[in-house]
Amino acid sequence: MERLDRRLGALTATPMLVLLGLCFLAPLAVVAGFSVMPSKVFDLWHQPDFSAYAELLRQGYWKSLAWSLGMALASTLILLVLCWPLAYAMAKVYRRFTLILTIGVVMSLFVSENIRLFGWVLTLMKGGLIEGYLRHWTGTGFDGLLYNMPVIVFGLVYVYLPFMLFPLAQGISMVPDDARQAAADLGASRARILWEIDLPLAAPGIVVGCLLTFVLATGAVAESKLLGGQAVIVIADEVETAFTYGQDWPLGSALAMVLIAIVGAIAIVGVNRVDLDAIMGRRR
Amino acid sequence: MTMTLSRRSFTLGSATIAGLAAMGPLRHAHAQRTDQLNILCWEGYNTDDVLSPFRDRHPGATLRAESGTSDPDMINKLRAGEVNVWDLINVNQPWARGRLYPEGLIKPLDKDRFLPFFERMSPTFAEPYPLAFADDGNLIGMPQRYGPFSFVVNTDKISRATAEEQGWKLFLDPAMKDRFGILTYDNWNIIHMCLTGDQNPFAPIDEAGMETFRKTAETIFGGARLRSDDLVAMNTALINGEIDAYFTGGTYTASPARLDGLTNIRGITPASGPINGKGGVVWIELTSLVNNPDPSALAADFLEFVQEPEVCKAVGFAEGTYNPVAQMGDPAVFEKWDEDELDAIQWDTLEDEMNRSVEYDVVASYDDLSTIYNAAKRG
Repeated sequence: MERLDRRLGALTATPMLVLLGLCFLAPLAVVAGFSVMPSKVFDLWHQPDFSAYAELLRQGYWKSLAWSLGMALASTLILLVLCWPLAYAMAKVYRRFTLILTIGVVMSLFVSENIRLFGWVLTLMKGGLIEGYLRHWTGTGFDGLLYNMPVIVFGLVYVYLPFMLFPLAQGISMVPDDARQAAADLGASRARILWEIDLPLAAPGIVVGCLLTFVLATGAVAESKLLGGQAVIVIADEVETAFTYGQDWPLGSALAMVLIAIVGAIAIVGVNRVDLDAIMGRRR
Repeated sequence: MTMTLSRRSFTLGSATIAGLAAMGPLRHAHAQRTDQLNILCWEGYNTDDVLSPFRDRHPGATLRAESGTSDPDMINKLRAGEVNVWDLINVNQPWARGRLYPEGLIKPLDKDRFLPFFERMSPTFAEPYPLAFADDGNLIGMPQRYGPFSFVVNTDKISRATAEEQGWKLFLDPAMKDRFGILTYDNWNIIHMCLTGDQNPFAPIDEAGMETFRKTAETIFGGARLRSDDLVAMNTALINGEIDAYFTGGTYTASPARLDGLTNIRGITPASGPINGKGGVVWIELTSLVNNPDPSALAADFLEFVQEPEVCKAVGFAEGTYNPVAQMGDPAVFEKWDEDELDAIQWDTLEDEMNRSVEYDVVASYDDLSTIYNAAKRG
């Protein structure tokens, strides 16, 4: 009976697997196929020569990759520190206010990312909300806060906050209060409770939040373009340039494949270290 | 119980998917290509002011227009198989002549039907305009919007006379470091950086020339305060004083600020340059028939429709940017523009600027220059 159930399960899943294969894997396969094609071709009917990967190494694209990964890492760590107290409060302290906070944060997602970032441009630019008022009140101003690397990280932190906050709150809500109280009764300090109780037991939420933030931030481009004035060129920008102005689909595909491989490897390692079933609500 | 539910769900799911799959081809089979028109274009042709009158004339037709974000982006769509979707494409002429026509993505227009329209165009286009033709003599598109495209300054900070006289060298001046932005229209930047280094981008460039280009590109990227592919961001930075000029721009980018009354924002065409004494560049769009295997009969009708005075104005003064149109040579078209609108498109100097500009063409050593350009941009 159990074997029959399993067979029926597999059969039921078949249409969805086919759909996933078509909509998710097939485009990836096309990108992978293009990445091994000779430079500047627009179809897959050529002898593979992997020259795009060689070009990628020769042309210093590693700099853009390093900037993207570095800024994604920085924004993930900042978000983890920033969101922890808030997520803790949402999971353990606030009651009705958690719902209000959740609605507030989610509502911001209803507005396009580009529009929200342009709002920050108007706030941070020379003559904008901050500098303009300062100049008006004090008579002295400064050159604006845009067009540098730190403001790109700020943009990443701002845009991806919900993707860290909610998994983190979910993770923290899984920490039993009894365990914390027992540790406190046995004389553990707050720091020790955080280190030995909260962090290990909330690990699934931490990993999911960090992965979501890091993966999204690595592929982000709008923050660099709108806030950063392309002070650094991110890898997603390079992919776009290769496909459009460069008219070099194999190079763009190779850049995309390298990014997918790095991010995919990090995601697999991360997911393997935690029990995702726990955060999805199933019992261990 | 589990078995029954699974089987039901599976049957229902399969039936739904089969039904959905069947709907696509069926809908397609019933479509009438004489009742459909799909246009891939720069912003302007997709506005209600342009599309509504055409819809009124063809009440049964489904008219769809989508705005692209760049010429290569639109061309990529056709290459990726959307040649079966679109009926008209509107891109800058080198992309039509250099990419679309050689790759068989667009097809020639009927000369008997369209050549007479050139007679009423501005003098530059009336001959008729040679770059609307492919090397084999076929007419491959109709010109409409155009404009000088070199750089933009805030004339309160840098006078028009100084900017025109210094030309591209303005951006190599150490005093300009951190006082200008780069509008990252990459293909244009490559052309303009060649001109800055006294090179002709439309002729092949040798190894020594590549070195000159590298130095120019590195100096300009090194001196820029910001880069953006958003003309609004660039105009905003110019207006609030963060920069005094931006590299790559012209009537197309300056006109929205000018129409808002900020006439100190001005597109500049250098007084001299390396191509037969000319240092400016002018862009001209062509609208062409896509080589759709199932062509729409309405495509050529629409091309004819956009030659009418009201529609010319609607195309030239669409949302976002404002541009002169080739049809302004016809008094019936010209009278549609008022004084402020003419000032927004710098009509007073347009002819002079056109005379000081060469036509945007295929960049001969584009691939090598693009590699150097992107390395310099990366830093």
